[in-house]
Amino acid sequence: MTSRQSPKLKPSPWDAIVVAAVIALGVFVTVVFYGGKSADHDLKCVVSAGSKTVDTIALRDAAKAPIARTYQGNGYTLHMTVTADGVCVSESDCPSQDCVHTGTITRSGQSIVCLPAQIVIHLEGTANSGPDVIVG
Amino acid sequence: MTGMKITTKKLALCAVLTALALGLSTLENLFPISLVVPLPGVKLGLANIVTVFALYELGAPSALVILVARCLLGSLFAGNASALIFSLLGGFTAMLVMIALKQLPVLSIYGVSIGGAAAHNIGQMGAAIITLGNTMVLGYLPFLLAVSLFTGALTGFVSGLLFRAMKNINLSH
Repeated sequence: MTSRQSPKLKPSPWDAIVVAAVIALGVFVTVVFYGGKSADHDLKCVVSAGSKTVDTIALRDAAKAPIARTYQGNGYTLHMTVTADGVCVSESDCPSQDCVHTGTITRSGQSIVCLPAQIVIHLEGTANSGPDVIVG
Repeated sequence: MTGMKITTKKLALCAVLTALALGLSTLENLFPISLVVPLPGVKLGLANIVTVFALYELGAPSALVILVARCLLGSLFAGNASALIFSLLGGFTAMLVMIALKQLPVLSIYGVSIGGAAAHNIGQMGAAIITLGNTMVLGYLPFLLAVSLFTGALTGFVSGLLFRAMKNINLSH
């Protein structure tokens, strides 16, 4: 086992370059992905299973009463609720429950992804807005 | 070919490290941080501690073997074949980046580990795009990269503790 190479165990100032590169990549993707997105006006919810769009619902259609829809993918069932303010997955039988824990999305560019069911719920709008932040 | 010679001790160490990585993965699944940070695929990456350790202690080829064995066995034990592409793509991307960063002597184990954690998320994002056939998942990448700064630093810290603890243990003889 001649390949042993002792690592530097204390943080080095040069590590900041790696951190800066990761932050720069994150900012770049944020600007590219959210920068030119329309938002908040005439939002519509686009539901995709795989590469196919399976449903499109305008949020204004849920102004009077919430719209509930059920989708199935990869053996799992998702219950989605659309209101005038946003969209959420209210219930799912997927093992990770990430889609349920994501909560309600309200801005254009935001999405709810259920990897086990392979379903993506995405919000699209018509007017411009800045980058959106879900998690700090 | 002397560099490629595998001793019984090295083989045993690779097996122990693979088992440890599998154990850490299982442990991590019992306490998912996705409950706190609801992002698909977000993980602490505890098994990466083993990868970082193996990379420095045994070298890239052995670390790669441990990674592939961990991904295959983890997928087999979980009975989830679709998870294999995520762990393999994430693991390979992280490994490639860490091998490259390890060549820079100015970087500490923290820099290498943070780079690996970020690359792991990028690889998994690629797997998600392939699996879902949808680029909308890219919207999660900035948040996953932000989380990787924390998880990478944590992995680097724990790996550092491991190397300090093993300072007086020579695994090569």
